[in-house]
Amino acid sequence: MISYDNIEVTFGDHVAIPDLNLTIEEGEFFTLLGPSGCGKTTALRTLAGFIEPSRGEIYIDGKPATNLPSEKRRVGMVFQNYALFPSMSVGENIAFGLAVKKTKKDETKRLVAEIADQVELTADQLEKNVSELSGGQQQRVAIARALVLKPRILLLDEPLSNLDAKLRVQLREQLKNLQSDLGITTVYVTHDQEEALTMSDRIAVFNKGVVEQVGTPADIYDRSATPFVCTFIGAINTLSDDTLRRLSSGGGSTLDPDGPAYVRLEKVLLRRPAASEGYIHLDGIVEKRSYHGAYSTYVIDSHGSKLRAMVTENGGSPLVEGSAAELYIDPASILQY
Amino acid sequence: MRRASLRPMLRSPLIIVTSIVLIWFTVTFLVFPNANLLVSTFFPDGQFSGSAVQRLFSSDRAMNSLWHSFLLAGTLAVTVNVVGIFIVLVTKYFDLRGSRVLWLGYATTLIYGGIVLAAGYNFIYGRYGFVTNAVRNVFPEVDPNWFSGYFAVVVVMTLATTTNHMLFLGSAIAKIDYQTIEAAKNMGASTWTILWRIVLPALRPMIFAVTVLTFLIGLGALTAPLVLGGTDFQTIAPMILTFSRTTSSRDIAALLAIILGLATIILLAIMNRVEKSGVYFSVAKVATPLTKQKIRNPIAKVIVTIAAWVLFVVYVLPVLLIVLFSFLDSTAILTGTITWADFTLSNYATVFGSASVMRPFIVSLVYSALASVIVVGGLLFVARIFQKYPNPLTSLLEYLLHIPWILPTILIALALVMTFDQPNPLIGGQVLTGTTLLLLVAYIIVKIPFTLRLLKAGFASIPDSLEDAARILGAKSLFTFRKVLFPLVLPTAAAITALNFNSLLDDYDAAVFLYQPLYEPLGIAIKASTEGENNLDSMSITFVYTVLLMIIMGLAMYLVYGRSASPRKRRRGGVTPPTAAASGASTGVSAPLVSPLASTSVDAGPGARGSEEPTPAGRT
Repeated sequence: MISYDNIEVTFGDHVAIPDLNLTIEEGEFFTLLGPSGCGKTTALRTLAGFIEPSRGEIYIDGKPATNLPSEKRRVGMVFQNYALFPSMSVGENIAFGLAVKKTKKDETKRLVAEIADQVELTADQLEKNVSELSGGQQQRVAIARALVLKPRILLLDEPLSNLDAKLRVQLREQLKNLQSDLGITTVYVTHDQEEALTMSDRIAVFNKGVVEQVGTPADIYDRSATPFVCTFIGAINTLSDDTLRRLSSGGGSTLDPDGPAYVRLEKVLLRRPAASEGYIHLDGIVEKRSYHGAYSTYVIDSHGSKLRAMVTENGGSPLVEGSAAELYIDPASILQY
Repeated sequence: MRRASLRPMLRSPLIIVTSIVLIWFTVTFLVFPNANLLVSTFFPDGQFSGSAVQRLFSSDRAMNSLWHSFLLAGTLAVTVNVVGIFIVLVTKYFDLRGSRVLWLGYATTLIYGGIVLAAGYNFIYGRYGFVTNAVRNVFPEVDPNWFSGYFAVVVVMTLATTTNHMLFLGSAIAKIDYQTIEAAKNMGASTWTILWRIVLPALRPMIFAVTVLTFLIGLGALTAPLVLGGTDFQTIAPMILTFSRTTSSRDIAALLAIILGLATIILLAIMNRVEKSGVYFSVAKVATPLTKQKIRNPIAKVIVTIAAWVLFVVYVLPVLLIVLFSFLDSTAILTGTITWADFTLSNYATVFGSASVMRPFIVSLVYSALASVIVVGGLLFVARIFQKYPNPLTSLLEYLLHIPWILPTILIALALVMTFDQPNPLIGGQVLTGTTLLLLVAYIIVKIPFTLRLLKAGFASIPDSLEDAARILGAKSLFTFRKVLFPLVLPTAAAITALNFNSLLDDYDAAVFLYQPLYEPLGIAIKASTEGENNLDSMSITFVYTVLLMIIMGLAMYLVYGRSASPRKRRRGGVTPPTAAASGASTGVSAPLVSPLASTSVDAGPGARGSEEPTPAGRT
């Protein structure tokens, strides 16, 4: 459906993307994930046709699209700040693309009403000025404006980043549902790992213009391919040499006792698991407990490591700071590179 | 910043045509006339000649005028700062009762200035002025010329030029982080210590900037010395005017204009250098708005309050008297004895009832409207090209279009007169000197830098994503410009048009060199009314003109700033007009505010590069 083939993007002397190779399948919800300045928006804007790559080719539906003007790529885009035209009403904003195509008035009216219904905008809201809408409503207008032209691809550039946390969670579900219903190929840019993990079919993790890993959310989280991916996605513990040596001391261990090693917080257990075979037991002292409501995190000093553990207490008595703790870690859950 | 090549510009025939017209205009009216002025001064017969310099040095009048100009500029740099800083402190910093009324009083110079203000003061305090006559009725020994010369010019220009302080320093003081004042208080600092050690040092760069601008205004002053300077106190600009009237002394006029231009360039360069250094107002990530400070010492409070209200009367009295006198005939004003029966509408009837009396007003209205609309309309597309295609050609053209910012208006006017007084191939072999067209050209020229900067700022404030959004929805460049960009920049364009219109309405500096005698503009008519006893009949007419001007200017100011400062929510979004620094309103577009008075011997200067940076605003 979409492929980036040896794409290089430069801004003056600065190479933003040195060599990007990616393939996005038809109907996929594909996320470009990474920290600020990693090149994910540049990759998206190159696909949109706003940035001309200095090398390589972009293919859409198997056809070269690098030199195709953005309006001919049949892509719709939702911008980070929505880019709604402030001098127009909500309805006029949505109908803008139709006006450019000189669509008949009746048809325009019908299409606008149809898409407004899909994104849950009322007829009343269509008459309003965009500045009179809330952030969430403005986002819906931006989506409607992008979708009304029935694009083959929908591009979303951090569309939820300007919303408050609660609305963000609510809208990401609606956005995902809309994408599933329409079956439209979607490329989504975000720096929010939770957003990426919950919404995507596949994720490409960017770092300094380079894709470090492409995979399903589970691949990315559980089988992070590089130290950058494993430290960028979710919280993680870095093991000290002593801790790693103890964990790799069991017979048949495949761990490299000299290499850096990481373990996710939820893989550090503070109680012996029911099926404890294979788990290594470590001692430690509780340094700190932070209460998060649904769970608590503990910092345990154990053999030179400050190990953080995430525990759902379910009404049980919490461990006291300064008390002894028993840790259980399955060496198979340790990530090494 | 993107630096594109020329190639993308060449894809659009519309941009190519616009660029060609722009290059022709720039070369013909901005580069060539000023270069011609230099050449004709130093290379009169094709060879270098220092005769203009020799003649200048041997002319006592010319040398005196140079000395007087620098004396006036130096004096104003002190007096304007003293009055200006005081005004800003009592209206924006100290918690004084009635500070809003005080501000309105001090702001009267926003709606009348230049030749109107000089004429107004002359009619009230001058040789035939009302106050002078009233006082002489009681004390006949009083010198009728008491309000004349250096003293009168300094007083009038001091009052007129504080506009810069009100706009720019007032805006700067509002940006001081209040937490720095609270911190000083917390450490035990007194009101005065805070003022001297915290507030004024934070304002130092802005004070420096307005001081330079004040100095430049003093240096190039034309109307105040002309009307009030008398024979003993003439400065460079009136001398340029005098010398330019005879062909034999035009080289001296040109040399004086060049000296004025050089001084302007040097001072503005110094100002730009100083502006680039130092932290201005706040280093805080989240600055706290300023809260007005109480003067705790009761004696100091009484003294400051009295001084503030005395100054208020000084500012407001001429305006009130002008309005009052517009209903009186000249005889009543001259004799200094006024009764209720003397108040009539006959002056207004004369102005509105007589085509010949109304003519200068109409001429100025037409010139101002035409020039304001042409300059904004023409530069709308040019500003967009400059903003969208930054390349060596557009950069060069942009620099050249700023020539009127670094050259005094009278130099530009003189250069135009001297260049187009013979057939010129650049304009198809036509002669423009003596035609109605040349003044229009001059008005357009002097308004280019201000208009271009604000329009460019207007376009720059529109997020690129709007254009990207239009493009991805299939809109072509012109459609996007028409449907998306233009509606957003329209409020800015309208505001600039109104400000330009205001500032040209009573222009004298350019008009005196370039007007066509059959189409005498208002500035010239008002100046004529101040000349000698024979013209006193026209004094009352001038008062009516002034009242009308104040109404128009006040209305334009309200439309531009009053409404944008209003908390009422606008239905449609868009780029807001030039920053309402004076009202302290926070608006979307960062753009320099120039008062409608901003047309003087030195027009809105290159200091106005960003938000609320100062430009010369006084006209005297």
